[in-house]
Amino acid sequence: MSVSSDIDFSPADVLIIGAGASGATAAWNLAETKMRIVCLEQGGWTNPSNYPTTGRDWESRAQSDFSINPNRRQQPGDYPVNDDDSPIKIANFNGVGGGTVLYAGHYPRFHPSDFKVKSLDGVADDWPIDYGDLEPFYAENDRITGVSGLAGDPAYPAKQSLMPPLPMGKSGQKLAEGFNQLGWHWWPSDSAIATQPYNGRDQCINLGACIYGCAQGAKASTDITYWPEAVRAGVELRTWCRVKEINVGDDGLASGVTYFDEDGVEQFQPAHVVIMACNGVGTPRILLNSVSEQFPDGLANSSGLVGKNLMLHPYASIQGVFEEPLDGYRGPHDSIWSQEFYETGEERDFIRGFTYETTRGRGLVATALTGVHSGRIPWGAGHHDAYRKLHNRIAGMVAICEDLPEEHNSVTLDPSIKDAHGIPAPKMTYSISDNSQKMLDFAVARATETLRAAGATDVIIESPLASGGWHLMGTARMGKDPQKSVVNEWGRSHDVKNLFIVDGSIFVTSAGVNPTRTIQTLALYITDQIKKRLTHLFD
Amino acid sequence: MSNTIATDSLFSADERDALKILVGMIIPASAVHNVPGADDELIFADILDSAKANEAQIRKCVEHAVSSGLGDGLPLEQVLPELEGHPVMAPLVSLVMQCYYRDDRVMVSLEVEPRAPFPKGFEVPQGDWSMLDAVQKRGKIWRDV
Ligand SMILES: Cc1cc2nc3c(=O)[nH]c(=O)nc-3n(C[C@H](O)[C@H](O)[C@H](O)COP(=O)(O)OP(=O)(O)OC[C@H]3O[C@@H](n4cnc5c(N)ncnc54)[C@H](O)[C@@H]3O)c2cc1C
Ligand code: SF4
Repeated sequence: MSVSSDIDFSPADVLIIGAGASGATAAWNLAETKMRIVCLEQGGWTNPSNYPTTGRDWESRAQSDFSINPNRRQQPGDYPVNDDDSPIKIANFNGVGGGTVLYAGHYPRFHPSDFKVKSLDGVADDWPIDYGDLEPFYAENDRITGVSGLAGDPAYPAKQSLMPPLPMGKSGQKLAEGFNQLGWHWWPSDSAIATQPYNGRDQCINLGACIYGCAQGAKASTDITYWPEAVRAGVELRTWCRVKEINVGDDGLASGVTYFDEDGVEQFQPAHVVIMACNGVGTPRILLNSVSEQFPDGLANSSGLVGKNLMLHPYASIQGVFEEPLDGYRGPHDSIWSQEFYETGEERDFIRGFTYETTRGRGLVATALTGVHSGRIPWGAGHHDAYRKLHNRIAGMVAICEDLPEEHNSVTLDPSIKDAHGIPAPKMTYSISDNSQKMLDFAVARATETLRAAGATDVIIESPLASGGWHLMGTARMGKDPQKSVVNEWGRSHDVKNLFIVDGSIFVTSAGVNPTRTIQTLALYITDQIKKRLTHLFD
Repeated sequence: MSNTIATDSLFSADERDALKILVGMIIPASAVHNVPGADDELIFADILDSAKANEAQIRKCVEHAVSSGLGDGLPLEQVLPELEGHPVMAPLVSLVMQCYYRDDRVMVSLEVEPRAPFPKGFEVPQGDWSMLDAVQKRGKIWRDV
């Protein structure tokens, strides 16, 4: 019997493409309307008992079937991404939960200033919405997700914390000492990690490999937060369904989507409303692949901006080597952050700023590879002594630099590479701007000072962090002007009135923080707008 | 006659011999630290087994090592500088580290419990939160809009 014989192909009221961070959030928020909601996801559910930390070979699996890079992972849900023309390589996860299955759970909010960069600093564009518009949705998303942290961070307007912060550990404390010596800001990170039992989820037990999946279920990936509730409320989540294109009718509205089902059979699912939630690479890919007579340049692309303005957040990794043993790989990646250099500083040679997020140590294999590749651990007889100088003695930070939108940084369709279903693969073309490079250099210099102040005897630098293409933003930006943006201020396509986008593509600017809390908050905001406007949604 | 041993080993006997010398050269045994080398029977068996996932690249490493004089009777000290840090060798180095640092004896020597992280997890100290007093004293640093 074919898979499709059980499927209801009558029109869905709402069809969501992608079951990751934003798709899950949108599905959950719309579920209470009792509309017929269908979500198509190209990957499957992951089973936490299969996550790498359940085995001794966890560090090996982090380089193979749980690699953060889909080109290396090559699992059935994955599609290739040509990142040859980018110094920063793609990182994602394709399956229920999307990138949150692998994310570290760093969960900062944007700052009020992040929505006003044009007014404040004369660069890029202001968002058509502001912090105040999103504040209630931040709070609601925090409640479903379960956020740990400490209220009172002087780098932010007041916000509550639902659970106590993650432990600083020896490494966090070391770095805090460094920040204090320099008189700089630091604070326990807001984290999407439960430090107490929360909504049926267990608390963190410091497995230390959050970016390869949390076997304990303490990390709030949306497969264990929003999805179970949305499915209980009646949302139909169809896995192993890869969308090829969005179809349009003679009226210029989306009529549904064409996708390949689990058996590789092409299907058409009609829908009254289509919501895209495939992330900053997957969404422009499908829009650009949805070519018709009415939309010869791809769907929703009258501005020509679909796929343009890709922002990735260049990262620098700055790690200190200390004389005394610290935490090693024990403990979640999240610990403390510093936003000392977050807002634009007139005395600096770059605009905007960045966040430092401290990192704990590394696993035994990662320590060895760091040492060998950086020339600190030799082959041969000296190996063991050199290894022991690094073992449990590395701690440091990453700097997340605000990336400004530039049209030449883009996602296009690769002319020759295709996925397993013959759909053209996306190609990332990206270079680090002069502003970002200056910011990276500044961040490396100041972090080195911090590490030295904290007592580091050696500093290991990787800038930019080549593996860190995990924040995918800006490729279908939001705005009031249809000539300068792809969706309006509540996420609806300017060109196709029943097409919405809720993922990181709609970001106008990237801020200097991890994006997922804001992505999910926007998904709540946009779906709230949909609910409020149901009677006149297509006006 | 082919010198391939009739097991599920990917490598010919000569290649395995060369590989064994090579991995022992990367991480030799140490009496001081009481640890085996990567050419230890158990660890080498793990390396051979794990190489299956990446056969072509590992074979390239062995070929490169042999073409650099490994197995020609040259002293290892003479061959080592040719190979150490060479980009072709990266997949093998990665494989050796993965297999070596999950061996019980090696983990115990580093005072790490030889077990999977889950389900027991680990203890991590809270740290001294009073260190935040200094930060609080400075007051608000976010920018008004
Ligand atoms: C290793 C790693 C660490 C990270 N750490 C952090 C962190 O600490 N903090 C943070 O804020 N962010 C982090 N991120 C980023 C975070 O995961 C993303 O910002 C977030 O998941 C993006 O949400 P999204 O809804 O835009 O897309 P995703 O979560 O990527 O979801 C997109 C979904 O769409 C599906 N899809 C795509 N194309 C199709 C198609 N054609 N048909 C059907 N389905 C499709 C995909 O399979 C995927 O499930 C990290 C990411 C990685 C990979
Ligand atoms: S450290 Fe905590 S959040 Fe991270 S994987 Fe382990 S239990 Fe999960």
